[in-house]
Amino acid sequence: MNWKNRDWAWIYWSAVVLLLITGYIVWDNMVPEWGDYQSDFKELVAQRFGQARAKQVPAGIQQVWVPQLGRADRCTTCHLGVSWKGFENAPEPFRTHSKAILDKHPIAQYGCTVCHGGQGQATDERSAHATMVEHWEDPVLGADLAKTYLVKNREALLQINCNQCHRYDHETKGADYINYAKQLVQQKGCRACHTINGRGGMVGPNLTYIGDQSPEQYDYSRMNGVKTAFAWHLAHFKEPKAMVSTTVMPNFGFGSKEAQALAMLVLSWKKTNLPVEYIPGVKVGDVPSPEELAKEKQMETGEGAFFVKKTCFICHSVSTLGIESATNIGPDLANAAADVQARFGRTLEDFLAAPTGTMAVVLSTQIHLTPEERAEAISKLKAAYQLKLEQEKTARPRK
Amino acid sequence: MEVKKSKWDRLMWTWKPASEREAGDSVVRNLLLHWFPAKVTKDSLSFRYSFWLGTVSALLFGILAVTGVVLMFLYVPSVERAYPSVKDLEFTVSFGGFIRAVHRISAHLMVAVVFLHLVRVFWTGAYKNGTASNQNRPFNWILGLALLLITFLLSFTGYLLPWDQLAYWAITVGTNIASAAPLVGDKIRFLFLGGNEIGQNTLLRFYVLHCFFLPLLVLFLFSWHMWRVRKDGGLACVDKLALKQKSEKAAPVKSKTYSLLGITRGSTVHVETALVAQDEHTVPSSPNLTRRLLAVMLITMTVVALLAVFIGAPLEEAANPLVTPNPAKAPWYFLWLQELVTDTTIHIGGLTINGALLGGMLVPGLLVLLLGAWPYLDKSSANSVGVWFAKERRRQNLIFLVVVIFILIFTIIGTFLRGPYWKFYWPWQGWPEVPRRF
Repeated sequence: MNWKNRDWAWIYWSAVVLLLITGYIVWDNMVPEWGDYQSDFKELVAQRFGQARAKQVPAGIQQVWVPQLGRADRCTTCHLGVSWKGFENAPEPFRTHSKAILDKHPIAQYGCTVCHGGQGQATDERSAHATMVEHWEDPVLGADLAKTYLVKNREALLQINCNQCHRYDHETKGADYINYAKQLVQQKGCRACHTINGRGGMVGPNLTYIGDQSPEQYDYSRMNGVKTAFAWHLAHFKEPKAMVSTTVMPNFGFGSKEAQALAMLVLSWKKTNLPVEYIPGVKVGDVPSPEELAKEKQMETGEGAFFVKKTCFICHSVSTLGIESATNIGPDLANAAADVQARFGRTLEDFLAAPTGTMAVVLSTQIHLTPEERAEAISKLKAAYQLKLEQEKTARPRK
Repeated sequence: MEVKKSKWDRLMWTWKPASEREAGDSVVRNLLLHWFPAKVTKDSLSFRYSFWLGTVSALLFGILAVTGVVLMFLYVPSVERAYPSVKDLEFTVSFGGFIRAVHRISAHLMVAVVFLHLVRVFWTGAYKNGTASNQNRPFNWILGLALLLITFLLSFTGYLLPWDQLAYWAITVGTNIASAAPLVGDKIRFLFLGGNEIGQNTLLRFYVLHCFFLPLLVLFLFSWHMWRVRKDGGLACVDKLALKQKSEKAAPVKSKTYSLLGITRGSTVHVETALVAQDEHTVPSSPNLTRRLLAVMLITMTVVALLAVFIGAPLEEAANPLVTPNPAKAPWYFLWLQELVTDTTIHIGGLTINGALLGGMLVPGLLVLLLGAWPYLDKSSANSVGVWFAKERRRQNLIFLVVVIFILIFTIIGTFLRGPYWKFYWPWQGWPEVPRRF
């Protein structure tokens, strides 16, 4: 073959290989793993609910974006049945999520991974569950891991993530392992030696953010089996001296369940950057002072309650009945009996029956008084005026 | 001359040369071909002389530019968004993972190929002037050296962008070595990082350098490099041929000479090397050079695409300044320096003499200076221009070989044989298991 033909051979062979690679990449892109799950789910829906419902099954990558938590979870790309009724007993990934939990933690506000762990951005099972992949330290806390660590309740591990938000709860409904561990912390007096959440002793290390400690920062030299932070804590809780020969931490005789619960608890102690509305029991608000509360109560239940109920107090104070207007747009009504006469040359009864000016507008559009209410208003206002006169009388001699 | 064109020809060619003469014209008439000579020696085309390494470097740069622009549409250069945007590229963007892998592989290959190009030029003495006038190959060698250094910088700045642990700590190690430079080291580091530690400023600086400033510089220097190759009369093997023919004392041949756009003043290179322009040694560039260029282009793309499919680009955990991976390594092409730094760090009792100055600054600095000055120090005759391992240059080629082997061995040790705590591990010795959370 001469060199010209050799060049052509190279050109053709490379072109063929490039074409094959292109074909492979396009094919690979067109048949994603989640595509199979989506068509399976569609079939399942068609079987149970008919073709019409099957058409409602979404296609393509699904995503729950929760900007407050900085998460974009694509789990629902495969876990399509999460918010469908009727798949409570369907095989995964199509099972319906338990409603009780979703009612309190709506998917739109929480996403998936904040509770379950895993890599939310991923769109293939291996990367998403991340139980065996490198470079993702937050695997799905599900049955696979529970099996590895011989945790009897196969769903228990995800309680670690419950405790991210529920850290300061004494007891969290449904998080029995974490609750048990919190009891143990109280019973065994861990705080005698360890500082936890800012309280406790200095003998042992501060455990407040121990969950953030890198797995590489544990000493595994005396440990057999898998080298993980969780396994280290399990072994350490069962026999502290076996892990750290110089430790003064006593052996509390913990069994497997105790060690598991405590390991889950300490690994949940991480620094979080949660928006305040995600932390149970924390209310941020404008809290009224005791004086403000007392005044409010007095206005609502005292002699002048009528003027609060009918919203007169928005513009008018009734000083002698203890009603203080926040705005004081109109005159003090304690003086009304005399004031109306002076201003309009009419009696109070007459004026309220046929008001003029601003009051004509207010009493025809915003405040409607029945004849009985009008009578009550007049008698209250007269009483208020009497009180005012008496107050002035008693006040004068003092001067 | 009017030639009857088939439909295929009309579709594929705006104008197809019908004779050798027209083929020569075509080179001048076409923007993409105008930097080629009309005729080219067979030696210049041969794989055995140049391995086409310069062309492959340029092609890789082209692949990097195209894939890089695609990535720029999808990547967000912010500390908060960079890592998730790369994850999105991997998981949701159609062909995103492949494009990223192509970019990554091409970048690694470009560093390697540009270096090999330099090695080839040294061993063939191609930085030397031949007998033709107006040659300045030593200067073109310096341009090439600058292009090699910029290639390192391009790769290094791109290394940080995914904002994962690999990126963060490689740049930490790399910039720490740089800070060992006396007097200005810390200031240079501060300037590059935009602060005392790697953060948003660093990311933005590296991004702008990587996507705009350095590629622009490469484009400019590459054009200059190519222009000089043409001004210097093509590859150095042409001078070898001319010299050989001069010694044969063949009669000068009248031949049409082609010059760039026909307006170059003075005698052209081809007049100087007129003896080479004979039919037995040269072929028209169109279609011989263009065809081989197409072949090289396709082979390069195929190799890159194959590697990208099988290797892919790594993405570790998100960058975490609080957790140092063990071992923390610089990018592979700097690992011979990191290795050198370790080996020249001496502990005497409690005293530690840091090797960063020697390994990180003096050795590479001296090497670059020496490389730049070498064409001016090399006093060998024109007989060793464009010749592989010329007898006259045997000693310097040997010394260069030793340096190359030293760099290779140290790179291999640093890349493959150094494990946690920078301890030495043979390939058959497993590294200790990296602990995980669960």
